[in-house]
Amino acid sequence: MIHDGSLQELRVLKSSLIVGSLSLALLVGGMVISGCGVAGADSSATDRQSERLVITGSSTVAPLVAEIGKRFEADAGVRVDVQTGGSSRGIADARNGLADIGMASRALGAAEDDLTGFTIARDGICVIIHRDNPITELSDPQVVDMFTGRLTHWDSLGGEDRRITVVNKAEGRSTLELFLKHFALDNRDVKASVVIGDNEQGIKTVAGNPGAIGYVSIGAAEHAAARGVAIKLLPMSGIAASTATLSEGNFPLARPLTLVIQGEPSTLTQRFIDYARSPAVHDLVRELSFVPAS
Amino acid sequence: MDEPIAWAALSAGRSRASGRGIVGRSADRLAAVIVWMTAAAVSAVFLWLLSDLVRHGAGQLSWAFLVDPPSNAGRAGGIGPIVQSTAWILMIALGVALPIGLGTAVLLAENTSSETLSGRLVRRSLDVLAGVPSIVFGLFGNAFFCVYLGLGFSILSGGLTLACMVLPILIRSTEEGLRAVPTEYRLGGAALGLGRLTILTRLLLPAATPGLVAGVVLGFGRAIAETAALIFTSGYVDRRPESVFDSGRALSIHIYDLAINIPGGELNAYATALVLVMILIITNSTASWLGGRLHAQHLLS
Repeated sequence: MIHDGSLQELRVLKSSLIVGSLSLALLVGGMVISGCGVAGADSSATDRQSERLVITGSSTVAPLVAEIGKRFEADAGVRVDVQTGGSSRGIADARNGLADIGMASRALGAAEDDLTGFTIARDGICVIIHRDNPITELSDPQVVDMFTGRLTHWDSLGGEDRRITVVNKAEGRSTLELFLKHFALDNRDVKASVVIGDNEQGIKTVAGNPGAIGYVSIGAAEHAAARGVAIKLLPMSGIAASTATLSEGNFPLARPLTLVIQGEPSTLTQRFIDYARSPAVHDLVRELSFVPAS
Repeated sequence: MDEPIAWAALSAGRSRASGRGIVGRSADRLAAVIVWMTAAAVSAVFLWLLSDLVRHGAGQLSWAFLVDPPSNAGRAGGIGPIVQSTAWILMIALGVALPIGLGTAVLLAENTSSETLSGRLVRRSLDVLAGVPSIVFGLFGNAFFCVYLGLGFSILSGGLTLACMVLPILIRSTEEGLRAVPTEYRLGGAALGLGRLTILTRLLLPAATPGLVAGVVLGFGRAIAETAALIFTSGYVDRRPESVFDSGRALSIHIYDLAINIPGGELNAYATALVLVMILIITNSTASWLGGRLHAQHLLS
């Protein structure tokens, strides 16, 4: 009995050790073989390399470009690898050559004239409040007063006696930059109650708080409101917040989704950029609640 | 079969140790109520989370969802390539971390005294490493594996980064498991004239299985839930990987992307999260069952 137990145990231990070392050997073997493959067939490896497009940057643009990439892959027989990480990273990667194309959810600035930007779609930002909030319009100074903490209760604007919850975006988000620029605000002056990362999070936060005010992409807000999420899109300067006014170019608070390259693009890069701006992908742009750049 | 007997033996030992007369009986009762309530609260949180996932996600689940590639930015289609990438990443992470972790734990528990400066230093640095935010591992992995070693955005980079991340957890709990083995085992083994290696492989490691299993379960859980360490290493590409040198999206990154960046992606985010939790439950129970079996055999022998 005693021997039986320990023997069995030993067997199990042995087999697990064998499995462990086998998997390690497999792993190392696999690495060596693939390494040899790359080293042995150098020309084919470089061929494959030139047929791969690496695109990095804004997490807002990444899902769209990934979808465009899939369609482009099917058409052109190449590989498109999309990586995310923010507009700043997209611009940095395009500049130092880590990526063939960078993605930014804003237009290029004056300090970035070494780069070339191509707008593939437009995204608008709108102010959202809870659906049950009776307010229907806010002027720009009122929004500024709320975000800087000079207005703390909705009743002073004719709303309910409820405290205003200011939902702001986290640092590094291009939506934040765009919002601050439009309202001539400094982020240090914003008295935020909640700091959020992305559109969906902002919509969830506002839908769950009747006193909240926040700002998100029009496409995302319109999509959520259409599905019955408890938010209300406020017009800006009298212009309704919708993808329609955005595509007409009337909505004041909009941003371009931009592909960024440095220097002369390769043939493949140029083909991809042309494809991403062509009507062939407009359905993908609309699917993701953006508006095609005309 | 063996497991209940082992548990009965364990609980019998426990009740013997805790018998201490009639003093403070009401205090005991109060403490018992509080302990039960905290345990119930923890289970309630888990059940609430699970039921939320099931309520929103179960409708999307199907065999096709598990094997098909995602389409329409993840709002349609399935998660087949993502499950495959995740499995490869985890296999690399645990395949690399297990042998290294086991070796280090043996060294720490058996070959160095806990009092020496070097032992304390290694242990302290492991504890600090275990608490380092995963984004730091992600940035390190990006700089070291992707850029310096030239592996690029790949499943291999992601797996190796996760291996670095779970190593401290694995080492520390295996080491605790080894330390929990009574000294008599070592002395008895030595008295029988067994070599150190024999004592280690035939006595100590089987006896330390619960610690090792706990480490694997914790490490696996931390690895499969990871987003920050993977977004800059294994990447965002949701294509079916052809080799470990391809970029591959992990389940947790897919959930994050669907929940945060894709308008209308919540339902599939819930479904993917449900799959992830199911994988976690299945692996954890398998590991505990296997470990419990090994340990029970050990107690009986």
